[in-house]
Amino acid sequence: MAETTTTAAQSGMKPGRRPGTKKAALYAGIALLILLVPIYFQAAPGLGFLVRIFVIVGIWVLLALGLNIVVGYAGLLDLGYIAFYAMGAYAGVLIGQATSGVLGGATYWVMLIPGALAGAITGIALGFPVLRLRGDYLAIVTLGFGEIVRIALNNDFLGLSNGATGLPRGSEVMVQPGMIDWLSSNVHFMTPFGGEFVFTSNVFWYFVVVLLCLIAIVVINRLDDSRLGRAWVAMRENEVAAAACGINITTQKLWAFSLGALSGGVAGVTFAYVQQFISPESFTFMESVFVVCIVVLGGMGSIPGVIVGALLIKGIPDLIQGLAVAGVFKVSGDVNSMITGYRFLVFGLLMVVMMAVRPQGIIPSARRARELRPEDERILEEEDQQMWDVEHRDPGPVDHP
Amino acid sequence: MTRNRRRFFALVAVVAMLSMVVTGCSAKTEQSTGGEGGKQPVTVVIGVGAPLTDGAVALGKGMSRGTKLAVSQANESQELKDLGLTIEVVEGDDKGDPTTGGNVATQFTSNQKLLGVMGHLNSGVTRVAVKIYNQGNVVQVSPANTAVDLTKMGMKNYFRVCTTDDVQGPTAADYAYKVFGAKRAYVVDDSTVYGVGLAAEWAKQFAADGGTVAGTEKTGDKDTDFKALVSKIKAANVDIVYYGGMYNTVALLSKQLKETGVKAPVMSGDGCYDPEYIKLAGATNAEGDFCSSIGYPVDKLPKAQEFKAAYAEEFPGEAIAAYDAYSYDAAQAIINAIVKVAKEMGTDKLASVDGKKAIIAAVAASNFEGVTGNVSFDEKGDTTNKVVSIYVVKDGAWVPAE
Amino acid sequence: MTFSYVVEQTINGVTLGGLYALVALGYTLVYGILLMINFAHSELFMMGGYVGLGVLKVLADPAVADKAGMGFLKPIQAFFMSGGVGFVALMVATFLVSAVVVGFLGVIIERFAYRPLRHAPRLAPLISAIGVSIFLQNAVLLWISSKQLPYSRADGVQFVTATTAFSVAGVDVSTMQVFIIVTSLVLLALLDTFVSKTRTGRAMRATSQDAEAAGLMGVDINRVIALAFFIGPALGAVAGVFNGMYYGSVKFNMGFIPGIKSFTAAVIGGIGNLRGAMLGGFMLGIIESLAAGFISNAYRDVIAFIVLILVLVFRPGGLLGEAVAEKV
Repeated sequence: MAETTTTAAQSGMKPGRRPGTKKAALYAGIALLILLVPIYFQAAPGLGFLVRIFVIVGIWVLLALGLNIVVGYAGLLDLGYIAFYAMGAYAGVLIGQATSGVLGGATYWVMLIPGALAGAITGIALGFPVLRLRGDYLAIVTLGFGEIVRIALNNDFLGLSNGATGLPRGSEVMVQPGMIDWLSSNVHFMTPFGGEFVFTSNVFWYFVVVLLCLIAIVVINRLDDSRLGRAWVAMRENEVAAAACGINITTQKLWAFSLGALSGGVAGVTFAYVQQFISPESFTFMESVFVVCIVVLGGMGSIPGVIVGALLIKGIPDLIQGLAVAGVFKVSGDVNSMITGYRFLVFGLLMVVMMAVRPQGIIPSARRARELRPEDERILEEEDQQMWDVEHRDPGPVDHP
Repeated sequence: MTRNRRRFFALVAVVAMLSMVVTGCSAKTEQSTGGEGGKQPVTVVIGVGAPLTDGAVALGKGMSRGTKLAVSQANESQELKDLGLTIEVVEGDDKGDPTTGGNVATQFTSNQKLLGVMGHLNSGVTRVAVKIYNQGNVVQVSPANTAVDLTKMGMKNYFRVCTTDDVQGPTAADYAYKVFGAKRAYVVDDSTVYGVGLAAEWAKQFAADGGTVAGTEKTGDKDTDFKALVSKIKAANVDIVYYGGMYNTVALLSKQLKETGVKAPVMSGDGCYDPEYIKLAGATNAEGDFCSSIGYPVDKLPKAQEFKAAYAEEFPGEAIAAYDAYSYDAAQAIINAIVKVAKEMGTDKLASVDGKKAIIAAVAASNFEGVTGNVSFDEKGDTTNKVVSIYVVKDGAWVPAE
Repeated sequence: MTFSYVVEQTINGVTLGGLYALVALGYTLVYGILLMINFAHSELFMMGGYVGLGVLKVLADPAVADKAGMGFLKPIQAFFMSGGVGFVALMVATFLVSAVVVGFLGVIIERFAYRPLRHAPRLAPLISAIGVSIFLQNAVLLWISSKQLPYSRADGVQFVTATTAFSVAGVDVSTMQVFIIVTSLVLLALLDTFVSKTRTGRAMRATSQDAEAAGLMGVDINRVIALAFFIGPALGAVAGVFNGMYYGSVKFNMGFIPGIKSFTAAVIGGIGNLRGAMLGGFMLGIIESLAAGFISNAYRDVIAFIVLILVLVFRPGGLLGEAVAEKV
C-alpha cells in the first residue's frame, strides 16, 4: 500500500522524464482548474471574496515554499522567517515609491528584484554569524531577529519605515500594475455561474501569485535533484557525516537560508502591492509561527503538502467567517459570533490531533516520509525496497561520494 | 498519476463541488427573498467591521452593540415597516489586523445585500479596507478612526463621526496647561497609529503653550510591565503624564505610577473614555486622571439620555464603551441614507450600483442630531462636529471636567 | 541620573528577572529531558494567573460571596480577609492551588499532546505545542473573558497592597517586589536542592543525560517526564500569579511576551541547565530594566535579543551550558 505510494510519488517528482499521456492530461486538468477557479468564484453571487482569500493563501504558499527550503530541505528551524518577508515588502514599497514616477505601471514587476535581493541579503547577513548554531539555538536566534526587525520597523528606524503608521505615507498611493485597469475595463463576460465575470484586481493578483508559485515550484523541484539539494539532504540527515563527505556545511546552509529568504522577499513585495499598504503589525512572530505550521502540517519538504497546509491554515478560518459575512449562509448573529469565536479553538485542537495521528504532515514528501518513523519496521523495509528501486530504475545523475 | 496526487486532487474537487453547492443554495435564497417590485419585503445588511476576538475586543464588541441598537430601533420604526424594509447586522471580525481587515472588507463587498459598513476601529485596518469598499461602491462610516491622513486618501465613500488627532490632542494639551496648570509633562505613546498621532499632537501643542516636555517614551500596545518607565517618569518629576494609547495599557501605567507614589495624573485620549479604564487601574489610582473625548458630555444632550436608557434596556448589564455612541450615530447615518434612497429609488434598487452610489451621496449629505452631537460631514468625509470634551475620574467614574 | 535611580531600576530588573527565572525553569526542565521547546508553557503561565485570580476572588472578594447561593463563603472570607494569619493563609492557598492545578494541567498536556509524539520527528511536538497554546488561549478567551481583567476585588481593592514597603536613601522598594524576589529565590533554591540532592532528582538528571540508559537502570522515564511537566508549569503558575498581582491584570494572551523572554533567558543561561535558567532570568531582567531606564523603553526587547545573539555567537552553548558534542 504505502510502499507503492511513496515509490510512485518519488518517481512522479522526477523532472525530465517523458510525460505520458496521463500526465499531460493531469497537467491540463490543473491548468483548467487554475483558470476556472477565479472565473467561477468571481462570477458566482457572494463568493467574490474567495478570490482574495486565494490571493492571500497564494502569498502564504510562496512564503511556505521558501521556508520549506530552509526547514524541509536543509533542516534548519527558522522562527523569524517573517523578517525576510518584511524586508521584501518594505524594500519594495520604499524603492517603488521613489521610482514609480519613472517606472509607472511596471513598478511592481521591477520591484520584485530589489524585494528579492533585500530578502536574500538579509538572509546572508543573519545567516553568516548564526548558522553554526545547533538546531534550537538557531530557532531562538532567528526568533529574536524577527522581533528585532519588527520593533525597528515599528519605531521608524532611520526614519524609513514610518513606524506603526505604515507605508505608503499620508496621502501617497502605490502605483498599481498598469494591466489591472485595462483588464478590469475590457475583460468581462457573462458566465453560466449566475453572474458576470469582471477581471478585477483580485483576479489579476490571483494569476500573478499562481505564476510566482509555479516558478518557485519548478525552481525548487530542480534544486531538489541538483547537487545542492542532495547536499542539503545529506546535511539534514547527519551533519558530521555530510561534512566528512566533503560538503561545506556553512556554505550549504547559507545557500538554503538565502534562497528561502529570497522567496520570502518576493512574497513580501507581492503582499505589499496586493494590499497597497504595509505596517509592522503584519510581520509579527505569530506570522512566523503560521508559516512553520503550514510547512510542518502540510508535510515537510512536500510541495503539494505546503499548498494544502496554506489552504488549511490561512484559507479555512477566513472562509468560514467569510461565508457568513458575505451572506452565502444565512446565520443568526449568535451562530456567526460562535463560528468566529470557536474557529481558533478547533484549529488549535486540530493541530494537536494532526500531529498525534500523522506527524509527517498531510502530504508527506516521499523522502521525508521514510525518515520520520524510523522505528516503524514496515517503513524500514520499504526504505530498502525504495533504495533498490532508485538504484535500479533511475539512471539519472546520482552523486556518489 | 500517483496516489498522493490523486488524493490531493480529489480534495480540491470536493472543495470545488462543495462551494458550487453552497452557491446553489445562496442563489435559491436570493430568489425567494429578493423578487420583483418594491412591495415585496426586502432585507438589506449593514456590516460591522471591528475587532471581536483579538485586539481591543471590549471596544469592538461595544461598536457592534451600538450598531445593533440603532438597527433594531430602525426596524421597529413605522418608516421601515411602510417600506417593507428590514435591516440586518452582520459582524466581520477584523482582529485589529490590516490583512484580516482586507479579507473582511472583501467579504462585505461580496455580500449582495450589504449596503454599508459601520467600522473599523483601527486606522491601519481602514487604510486597507477603504479601498476595497471604494471599488465595491460601499459606504464606510467609522466611529473611531482618528488618524489625520485617512481622509486625505481621496476616498469618496469614507466618512467618520469622530474628530481627528489634530483636534483632540491640542484641545487636551490646552486643558492640561491652561486649566489644570501643568508645566512639566512626560509624553508616552503605545507605538500604534492612534497613540503615536495623538501623543505627537499633544506634545506639540503643550510645548507651544509654553509647557516643558520633560521626556518622551514608547511602549508596546500590549505591554503590562511599565515599572522601568515608572521609575523614569518618577525621576523626571513632572506635573502630568500624557499617554497616547488604549485603556488597557494606559490604565496599567496609571496604576503602577500611583502605586510608586507618583502624584501626577495621567491624561489620554478617547480610547480611555471607558469604565474598563477605572476597573483596571483601580478607582483610587485612577482618581484625578483625565481623558479627552469627542462631542459634548452625554448629560448635556437630550438624545444621549434616550440612548443611555435604550442601551440599558437592550443590553442589560453591559456598560457603554468608548465608541458605542459613535457607532450608534455612524449606523444611524447609514440607516438614514438607506431610507432616503429607498424612498427615492424604491427598495429593489437599493443594492444596485446606482443605489449604492446614491447611498454614499446621501451619507455625505447627512445632517441630523445624533447622540454625540450634530452629525454632518465636510467634503473630505471628516465630521463637522469638532467638539472635544475633557473628562476626569471622580469617585470611580468619568465625569466632565470643568 | 542619580545613584538611587540606578538602584531602583536594578531592583525593577531583579523582580522582573525573578519572574523570568521561574518561567524559564519550565522551559529548561522540559528541554533538558525531552529536547523540545514546550511552546505551551507561556500559556500555563497565563493559566496560573487566572487560577490564582479565581482563588483570590472566591476566598477574599466580598462581591463573590454576595452573589446568590454563595453566602456560605462569608465566614470563610472573614477568616482570609482578617489580615495576619488570614493573609498568610490566603497567599499560601492562592499559590498552592494555582501551582497544583496548573501543574496537573501540564501533566495532562504532556500525556495527550506530547507523549504520543515522543518518537516523532523533532518538529512534531513543537507544532503540537503551538496547537495547545492556541487552544488554551482561545479556551480562556471564550470561556472566561476576552477582556483584560483587573487583578483586584470587584470594588477595586488590591488583594496585596503594592505600595512602597520601605525607602532607603531615596530608593523605594514595594511590598510586591520584596515578596517576588524572596519567593522566587526560595523556590529556586528548593528546586536546586531537590534536583541535586534527592533520589528523584538524580533520576531526573540521569534521564536528561540519556533517557534510554536511565530507563535501563530502572528509572521510570514516564514518571520523570510527568514530574518535569508538573514542576515546570507549577513554577510558571506561581510566576503567573505574581505577574497578575505585580502588574495588575490578566489577559488571555498575556503569556506570549514573557514566554519568549523566559525562553530567551533559558537559552542565555544554557538551555537544559537549571542554574543557567536562573542566572539567565535575572540577567535578562536586569538588562531589560536598565536598557529601558537608560536607553529606550521601545528598544528594550531589541537589546534583550541582541544580548541573546551575542551570547550565542561567542558562547554557543549559553553561559553555563556545556558545548555539546554533535552526536555521531
